[in-house]
Amino acid sequence: MSEPHWLDRRILFFGGKGGVGKTTCATAFALLASEAGRRTLLVSTDPAHSTGDILETELGPSERRITEHLWALEIDSEKAAAEYIDRVRIHLLRVAPEHLRAEMERQVEIARVSPGAEEAALFDRVAELVLTVRDQYDLVVFDTAPTGHTLRLLTLPELLQAWIDGLLERRKRVNELSTMWRQMTVGGSPDEETTDPVEKILTARRRKFFQMRELLLSPGETAFVFVLLAERLPILETAKAVDMLHRFKVPVGGLVVNRILPQDSGDHPFLAARKEQEQRYMKEIEATFPDLPRLELPLLPHDVVGSDALQEIVDHLRHAIG
Amino acid sequence: MSSLWQRLRNGWRRFNELYDQFFFSPFRAVAARRHRDEEDLFLLLCFSDMMGIPNPVNYYTLELLPAMLERFHAWHLRQGMEKSPPGGFR
Repeated sequence: MSEPHWLDRRILFFGGKGGVGKTTCATAFALLASEAGRRTLLVSTDPAHSTGDILETELGPSERRITEHLWALEIDSEKAAAEYIDRVRIHLLRVAPEHLRAEMERQVEIARVSPGAEEAALFDRVAELVLTVRDQYDLVVFDTAPTGHTLRLLTLPELLQAWIDGLLERRKRVNELSTMWRQMTVGGSPDEETTDPVEKILTARRRKFFQMRELLLSPGETAFVFVLLAERLPILETAKAVDMLHRFKVPVGGLVVNRILPQDSGDHPFLAARKEQEQRYMKEIEATFPDLPRLELPLLPHDVVGSDALQEIVDHLRHAIG
Repeated sequence: MSSLWQRLRNGWRRFNELYDQFFFSPFRAVAARRHRDEEDLFLLLCFSDMMGIPNPVNYYTLELLPAMLERFHAWHLRQGMEKSPPGGFR
């Protein structure tokens, strides 16, 4: 098995199909890194938020220290979206003249229920974290929501940037025409510089998306790690996701195959059959992802809850990494 | 002498103004209309959600509103939305 080359990345996303153990793996990896002395931030973006449950602590929107070198937080995208919209609303109501207030309120309400608001809020928060917090930590580990959701998140900068680019271009056209028209007016000064606030805001947004994309697509900095099981559906879903990330040039670091049955499963016919099937699927994983480094984690005889069980996974992970 | 010079100068300026109005005002009207159309299109691209056309950047264009209040209002009226149904367009 080739040495996983994502271990030294500074931004890691753990993703995969629902229920394969993303949170466990992300948390264990964050713990392992922090035990090695790397200042690590663990971020949960999954609305289910089981990271706090696994760490047996309450997590909130700002960092909370878990161990000497480990901090954790949870992003609540619903709340983040509401806060952003409230901020814009207050600003709007402050600048809007009396007769426009009702219209503006209505517009704000439309934005509040429009699809994609939470997604955009989550994206903004992730961008903010990777762009600003990066300097304070050696490693940021994202425990993400199930595959579809996360792929959207990672491919969003490209889509958004394309839209903002389009808007910006149209806006420039508006400003060009505005200048032209003013020049034709008697007394209009041709040299009058347009300082259009709209163009300024759009340009600032564009810059942010661009930085985020650069960072996401930088193979030395970022990696996406897929957690999966040696079962049919997780393999299929992971294959699709890996394809998609390749298409968007998001670097895929490797795989963690979780819940591997013990070697001596042969005594019981039921377990022996499961083990045989698992080995078949392991071969399929090898064939489907020949270029991706793999780590394997065993199925434990008990749940991974609490620090002892978590430490067990951390030890297995350390062993697997070698 | 100087008053003749003055009159000539005034006459020339007057001629220029008339010339300008005669030739440029149609262009000016066209340019103004194009500017307005372009601005309307821009607003549509920003706030198409309002008309039921999905817009992935609706979340981000909201923050442009404070800078475009009056334009937005004028556009809103031109789109025939003077009396919008209570509760918005969903």
